[in-house]
Amino acid sequence: MIYAEHLRKEFKKVVKDPGLKGSFKSLFKPKKEIVVAADDVSFHVPKGEMLGFIGPNGAGKSTVIKMLTGILTPTSGQCRINGKNPQTDRKKYVREIGVVFGQRTQLWWDLPLRETYSVLKEIYEVDDDRFKKRMAFLNEVLDLEDFMSSPVRTLSLGQRMRADIAASMLHSPKVLFLDEPTIGLDVVVKDNIRKAIMKINKEEQTTVILTTHDISDIELLCDRIVMIDKGKNVYEGSLRQLKEKYGNIRELNFETAPGFSLTEDEFRSGLELGEDKMTVEKDKNIFKVRFDSTEMPVGEMLNYTLSHAKVKDISFKEADVEEIIRRLYKQGECENE
Amino acid sequence: MRRAWKIYRLLAAQNLKRLMEYKVDFLTGAVSFLIDQAVGIAFIFIIFTQIPQLSGFTFEQIVFIYGFSQIPKGIDHLLTDNLWCVGYFIVRQGGFDKYMTRPINPLFHVIAETFQVDAIGELVVGIALICYSAGSAGLYVTPLSVILTIVAVPFAALIYTSIKIATSAIAFWIKSSGFIIQMVYGMNEFAKYPTTIYSVPVRVFVTFMIPFALTGYYPVVYLLTGENPLLNTGIVVSVSIVFFILSLLIWNRGLSAYESAGA
Repeated sequence: MIYAEHLRKEFKKVVKDPGLKGSFKSLFKPKKEIVVAADDVSFHVPKGEMLGFIGPNGAGKSTVIKMLTGILTPTSGQCRINGKNPQTDRKKYVREIGVVFGQRTQLWWDLPLRETYSVLKEIYEVDDDRFKKRMAFLNEVLDLEDFMSSPVRTLSLGQRMRADIAASMLHSPKVLFLDEPTIGLDVVVKDNIRKAIMKINKEEQTTVILTTHDISDIELLCDRIVMIDKGKNVYEGSLRQLKEKYGNIRELNFETAPGFSLTEDEFRSGLELGEDKMTVEKDKNIFKVRFDSTEMPVGEMLNYTLSHAKVKDISFKEADVEEIIRRLYKQGECENE
Repeated sequence: MRRAWKIYRLLAAQNLKRLMEYKVDFLTGAVSFLIDQAVGIAFIFIIFTQIPQLSGFTFEQIVFIYGFSQIPKGIDHLLTDNLWCVGYFIVRQGGFDKYMTRPINPLFHVIAETFQVDAIGELVVGIALICYSAGSAGLYVTPLSVILTIVAVPFAALIYTSIKIATSAIAFWIKSSGFIIQMVYGMNEFAKYPTTIYSVPVRVFVTFMIPFALTGYYPVVYLLTGENPLLNTGIVVSVSIVFFILSLLIWNRGLSAYESAGA
């Protein structure tokens, strides 16, 4: 369905010294630098899959999405989606995709929401019958009725995002690109949007590519993830595999009884686990210990803790995806150094 | 083609609805545009009370050229005003992404989005000046001269459009080209007067480099003098087509250089 092969995108950037003086200097003697925003990014998404595209800010997620949607032309490499090249077959290709950029809107800002849909209907050549059915479906999933007649500029962020998703779905695209669809939304609205995306994916087998910083989006929606950092693929695989590979991390939290003193080093001293196998953080009398449960089983750790500290409260937790990803980012940094 | 017309009407209608949405702003704009035009006309009348003849042309003939030059300008202004926004901020702020993800030609989409009602001022003024001066300008009126002049109008407007397409497309490389459009577009002042009043280098410049002379003087020179009918209109038509093709080439190369913005 979607093949990205060795995508690379370079941007030329003018490097300026700080301040107005620097700006003047660069006006006459620009120092140019090539920034590689995406480097040899390859992956494959089968039909009907929901793929989470993750990475820290500035990792190159949006650049890759923009190449896939035909907005940017790759410096080298290519992508094929439904057998079409987004750059050379642009007009045909974009009929088959829907795009939502969470930070921007494609709605007609000054007009009632309804107007946007009637224009998009013509742009995508949706016939009257299909349009009616489609609007009914989108209305049901995204609950647009209440603000259908309000000018777009008066919508709340959550309403606007729902309206934007509906706008991108009007022509029944085969692939939906969602760039941070839950950014800046409250928990309830996030939840509604996730449910809507799930429903669209389930009922229409729409392939979804989603970028997000919200780990719950990934956990709830995505079958697979591709992680990129500094423009490169760092990980591609299912969430389950990721958890199996990196998920043997456990988190121990305990609070020592009042009057009992224990330092991080004292706690550490009885254990033969290096920095990479265990981290200890202490805040007043609360300890947070992350450790590798294949090196030190949970039972042993519990015994050790109870015998070395006077504990008031204690709990264990499985590492969440956020923690795993944090470790992956760190690993990426180490490898680069 | 029918689809293009349908989409054009629809997008232009959205723009008009938007104008209605902000009535006060719209009316203020219309009034200020009228004042602007009135000052422009008063200005040439004052100048021509001092200078009765210019380069062999009478006052009425000069008013005729001036009036005619406003018509291609107005047509282009009416139809393609959104290109200014491409140069000033659409590209710089990444707003061009939207056009790239829709199944219609991005240039057509940008242009169709604005129907600039202000331009009606230029058209009204142009037609009024032509009506005022036509009787006394001693025009060489034959069916051929009238037809050739009318034929030249859309091509002259296309020269404006081509220049705007090319200069706004520069933004795809350097992010913001609003002032470049403004600088080049500003040279349309040369179109208001007979090209023969300028020195040879300026004449060559406004005929072939930034060919605004072809939007005012050349299309009507046959009507005014009865000389070289096909040569004058021929230059307008051929230069306009060449410039349009060049501007499309620049625009299309610009599309693949588009870098979007942040986020």
